[in-house]
Amino acid sequence: MSKPPEPQADGLTIAVPKGALFRDAAERLRAAGIDVPDDVGRKLTVRTPDGTTLLFLRPTDVPAYVEFGSADCGIVGKDVLWETDRNVAELADLGFGYCRLVVAGRRIDRYHEGAPLPTFLRVATKFTRSAESFFAERDLPVELIPLHGSVELSPLVGLADLIVDLVATGTTLREHDLVVVEEIAESTARFVVNPVRFRAKYDALTVLLDRLASVPA
Amino acid sequence: MRRDGAIPVRLPAGVRDWLPHELARKREIEQQMRAVFGRWAYEELQTPIIERLDVLERGLGEETTELLFHFNDRRSTALALRPEMTTPVARLVSTRMREAPLPLRLAYVAPVFRYYEQPQEGRMRELTQAGVELIGAAGIDADAETLFMAIEGLDEIGLRDAQFDINDARIVDGILEGAGLDGDAAREAKELIKIRNLVGLRKFDRPVLVEFAQRRGRHDAIESARAICRTPESRAALDELHVMLDRADSLGYKNRVSVDFALLRDLDYYTGFLFEGYVGEIGFSLCGGGRYDSLLPRFGFDVPAVGWTAGVERLLIALERRGKHARRRRHRIDVLVAGSDVVAARERSAGNVVRYAGSRLSDEALLEEARAYGIPRVVIAVNGTVRELRVGPRVGDLPVPRTPSNWDAR
Repeated sequence: MSKPPEPQADGLTIAVPKGALFRDAAERLRAAGIDVPDDVGRKLTVRTPDGTTLLFLRPTDVPAYVEFGSADCGIVGKDVLWETDRNVAELADLGFGYCRLVVAGRRIDRYHEGAPLPTFLRVATKFTRSAESFFAERDLPVELIPLHGSVELSPLVGLADLIVDLVATGTTLREHDLVVVEEIAESTARFVVNPVRFRAKYDALTVLLDRLASVPA
Repeated sequence: MRRDGAIPVRLPAGVRDWLPHELARKREIEQQMRAVFGRWAYEELQTPIIERLDVLERGLGEETTELLFHFNDRRSTALALRPEMTTPVARLVSTRMREAPLPLRLAYVAPVFRYYEQPQEGRMRELTQAGVELIGAAGIDADAETLFMAIEGLDEIGLRDAQFDINDARIVDGILEGAGLDGDAAREAKELIKIRNLVGLRKFDRPVLVEFAQRRGRHDAIESARAICRTPESRAALDELHVMLDRADSLGYKNRVSVDFALLRDLDYYTGFLFEGYVGEIGFSLCGGGRYDSLLPRFGFDVPAVGWTAGVERLLIALERRGKHARRRRHRIDVLVAGSDVVAARERSAGNVVRYAGSRLSDEALLEEARAYGIPRVVIAVNGTVRELRVGPRVGDLPVPRTPSNWDAR
C-alpha cells in the first residue's frame, strides 16, 4: 500500500467521490484547474503537480472526512448530506448528479392513486434518516427496515409496503413495476467545506469555490 | 484486548474516564488557564452541576432544551445538568451578587453536560469548560479584554499560532434588514448564514446574502460591508470591529485576528461582539465568546456582560495532534519507606513525597520497586534500625509499556 502523501501547508486536500459522481466531479475539478486523473484505479489518494491532495472515497464517507478536517473540502451528493448529518458548510450546488429521493410502491397497490395505506406500514430503505423524518413529519407510524442494496426487491416479496429510494431515470422502478408515490426531495452534487478550514485556508478555498461555481452546470 | 475475568461493565455514551497520566495533562491545561484568568484579575467561582430546568430555559431559550440532560426529582421538580456556565453565573450574579461593585470579573473551570444524539470527538456529552464572565461592563474595552485574554490563554498552553475570527451579532441583523427580510425568512436566513450554507442562501435571490456569508478579511472586509449595512446599529458595530482590529494590530496580533461576518455562535443570547479561536488543522473551534447584554435582564438584573470560554478537551486534542503533551509525566516520588510509620511521617513532614512499601520485602525487591517508579532513596526501618539504600544507575527507567498506555492502566 502506498503511503498517503503529507498534506502541504497551503495546498488543498479535496475529498472526491468514487462511483456515479466521479466522472462529473473529476471533470468539474479539471475545469477549475485541478489535475484529476481519468482513471484512479485502486488508488486511495493522489498528489497533483500543483500540490493538491486528492482523496478518493466512497460517497457516503466524504462528509466525515470533511467534518473532521482530514479533507479541507469535498464533493458529495445532497442525499448523502441528508443521511449523514455532518457539520460541513455547503458552498455550492454543482448541478450534476441529479436524482430524486422518492417514496415508491407497487403499481397494483395503487398507493400512488391515493389507495389507503395499511395500518401497520413497513418501509424498506437505505436512507433511514431521511425516511424517518419524512414519515415523522406526517405523523405516520412506520416500521422502517434498513437495507443495504436492491431495495426495489422488498415490496415484490412482501418485506415492505413501500420503499424510500433514490431515482435517477426511473428505469429500475419501471422494471419492477414500481411507481413513485411521493417525491421527498431532489438531490444534486454539492461542494462542501470544513467550517474552520474555510477560515484557515480562506484564500485557496474561495478561489476554488469561484472556479467551481462559475462553470455552467 | 482481553481482560481475563473482567465483568463487561460499560460507560454511558459520550463520557470518558481520565487515567492518572491523562488527568495530569488535563489539569496542566486547566492550571494554565487559571493562571491567565488570575493575571487578568478574575476570581474563580463554582455553581452546582444541577440547575432547575426553568432557570436554564430562561437563560438559553426553550429550544435549547433538547440539548439538555433533564429529569425530575422525587417531588417532580424539573431539573437539568448545566450545558454551559454563563447561565448559572448569570443566575448567581443576579441573585446573590446584585449588590457587589461592578464590573465583576468571574472565572470558572467546570464540567458541563450536553445531550448530543451522536457523541463524537470534540462533541462529548461531558466536557470541561474554562472561561470567564465580565459582568457590568459595556463597550469595546470590555469586548477587547475578553478577546485579548483568550489569545493569551491559547498562547499560554502553546498554541501561539491560533487564529481568532471576530464579528458582531448586530451586523447580520443589519444585512437582513437591508435585504428586506424579516420574520421567519430572516430567521431562516440567519440559520443558513450560521452554518455558511450558501446553497440555501441563494434561494432567497438576494446575492448580497451570499456575498456577505463568504466575506472574511480585515479592514477591507469591514469597508466592503459598509455599503450593504443599513441600520445604525450595524454601522456602529462595523466601527467597533474596525477599532478592535487596530487594537489587535498594535498588540502584535495582526496576523491572528480577522473578521468573519458569518461567525454566529450557537447560543441565542449574544447581542454584540463575538469571536472564536481555532487552529487550522483542527476542524472545530477551541474557544469562543461574546457579548450577551440581554441575558442578565432575563434574570431581572439589568446589566451588560461579555465572556468567553474554552473547551479543555478540545485544547488537549489540538495539543496532542501536534505531538505536544504526548510524553507521560510521572508522579514525582522522593522516597520509598519500608517498615516504619514514624520514619514515613518524618519524611512527609520534611516535604517529601513518600511511597509505602511492604515491610517484608528484600532489599533487592525494594530497589527494584524504587527503580520502577524512579524513586531516588529507599529507607528501611525494621526492628528499630534505620537503613538507607541508594538506588542504582537505572534510576528513572520506567518499564516499557507493552500496549499504548491509554488502553488499560498498568
